[in-house]
Amino acid sequence: MQFRTLAAVAALATVTFAAQAHGPTRQKVSESIEINAPADKVWAMVGNFQDGSWIPVVEKTEGKGGNEVKATRTLTLKGGATVEEELGKYDAEKKTFMYRITKVDVKTLPVNDYSSTVEVEGDGSKTKLTWKGAFYRGYMNNDPPPDQNDEAAKKAVSGLYKASLENVKAKAEKGS
Amino acid sequence: MMRRVGLFNDLRWTRRLSSPLPAAGEGAPRSRSAEGSAPASDRPTGTVSRAGAGAAARRLTLCLGLATLPAPALGQEAIVTTQLGNAVEIIDLPSRTILSTIPVAGAPAGIALSPDRRRAYVSRPEGHGVTVIDLEARKALAEVSLPGGPLGIGVNPVSGDVYVADWFGARVFVLRATPEGLRPDGEIATGKSPSGLAVTPDGATLLVANRESDSVSVIDAAARREIRRIPVGTHPFGLTLSPDGTRAFTANVLSDDVSAIDFAAGRETGRVATGQRPYVIAFAQGQGGLRGFVTDQYSNTVTVFDPATMARVGTVDVGDHPEGIAATRDGRTIVVANWGDNGLSLIDPATLTVTGTVATGDGPRAFGDFLR
Repeated sequence: MQFRTLAAVAALATVTFAAQAHGPTRQKVSESIEINAPADKVWAMVGNFQDGSWIPVVEKTEGKGGNEVKATRTLTLKGGATVEEELGKYDAEKKTFMYRITKVDVKTLPVNDYSSTVEVEGDGSKTKLTWKGAFYRGYMNNDPPPDQNDEAAKKAVSGLYKASLENVKAKAEKGS
Repeated sequence: MMRRVGLFNDLRWTRRLSSPLPAAGEGAPRSRSAEGSAPASDRPTGTVSRAGAGAAARRLTLCLGLATLPAPALGQEAIVTTQLGNAVEIIDLPSRTILSTIPVAGAPAGIALSPDRRRAYVSRPEGHGVTVIDLEARKALAEVSLPGGPLGIGVNPVSGDVYVADWFGARVFVLRATPEGLRPDGEIATGKSPSGLAVTPDGATLLVANRESDSVSVIDAAARREIRRIPVGTHPFGLTLSPDGTRAFTANVLSDDVSAIDFAAGRETGRVATGQRPYVIAFAQGQGGLRGFVTDQYSNTVTVFDPATMARVGTVDVGDHPEGIAATRDGRTIVVANWGDNGLSLIDPATLTVTGTVATGDGPRAFGDFLR
């Protein structure tokens, strides 16, 4: 329902219709890191949808619905910007979950229609943590400005993922 | 039991047995003999309706009988737009191999085949146009520039005209097939952000899903004029005709359901819930009758439903971000393009199980009539 509300707001806020539709080419980013710690430990750090503190830029997580499908959370970032998200899939046994962004300013993250999956795969004392995303660029029509084109979207998401994975690795291997 | 072992499977079995031997007849000769052995009159009349193709193939099978139908006639090819790879891949389904990769710049996404199925028309939303591919020669034949965001694409099975939806606008471009390629020939006004297209088997009616208008435009193809607009679910994207060509079905991306519409009567007749973000629909005979198969982009599943009752009958797990979906000409395999993890899933519509996968280039979409 949140999407519908968003679309209605966008319709009111924009003069041209074209700005409502997302771009025609969805992009993807996938980043992985190998962590010298057991999967259970890594999952304990990243597997709670109501705690986004493993993402360095996140200052506060507020939400409801726990780890049930359709649970929501609002991430408040350092600097005050917010990102609203909804859980799409959650599988504790497979140590993976999928969520989507329901509301974000393109100035905060230059993407549209973003969905993302976090996966934890254990191999004894080692763990592979993967974060992948699918999204459209920030500018929704033809001829995007450089800060809202496909490359800018991929760069922003990739940077976010890498910093977060390295943060988890550092903390998990330190034993904290 | 025997009835469920399709020719498609038989063919694979034969080929697997013979694989250690020199592979005579691999690739191109196969597809050519496939073309030659099926008379044009037996080709699917509903080119844009993948369901129509399946029905025609079933009729063909019934007419000729399994024993007399030469195996190469089912040399089935998937023509897959790999959008992030900027290419179109021709994939041999029985051997699950890529026969050819044709570079196509401009983020190719939509695809349609000419009535004789010798040409593919590929939309390029970022390159603004359509590329015409000669499927016999396996090379790009021509390029046509179009304004806006050309995405959804379909072919009139009678006239051969090509319709291209402008994602950023509220119109469908009409292009005429020529020996050299395509010639732009006007446009038709539709609802906002036209997406999936289909043409009735008689070539008289063009149906367009209007994503931002939450409706379907019913267009008189000869007059090139919208004659009716039918409300459906929220953000319809894929649009597919029933095999008999009387009903249309839209995958409603934001309301997570499929609408059935009786377009002659001008109304929606039913709705069935799907997984998250349904995208495109295909039809094939399953156990107990005709079944609809819907790709659920965010759920990584295919929802199976009964189009007669609009009841959900099953779910099949497929790859990441499934998008394009269609039935093979013999109706025995549903092919799904998984955009996220770069592959095709092959589904047996009788058992509702995945029987195999095929690796593709980056970002396969195959949005349209992509099985030859």
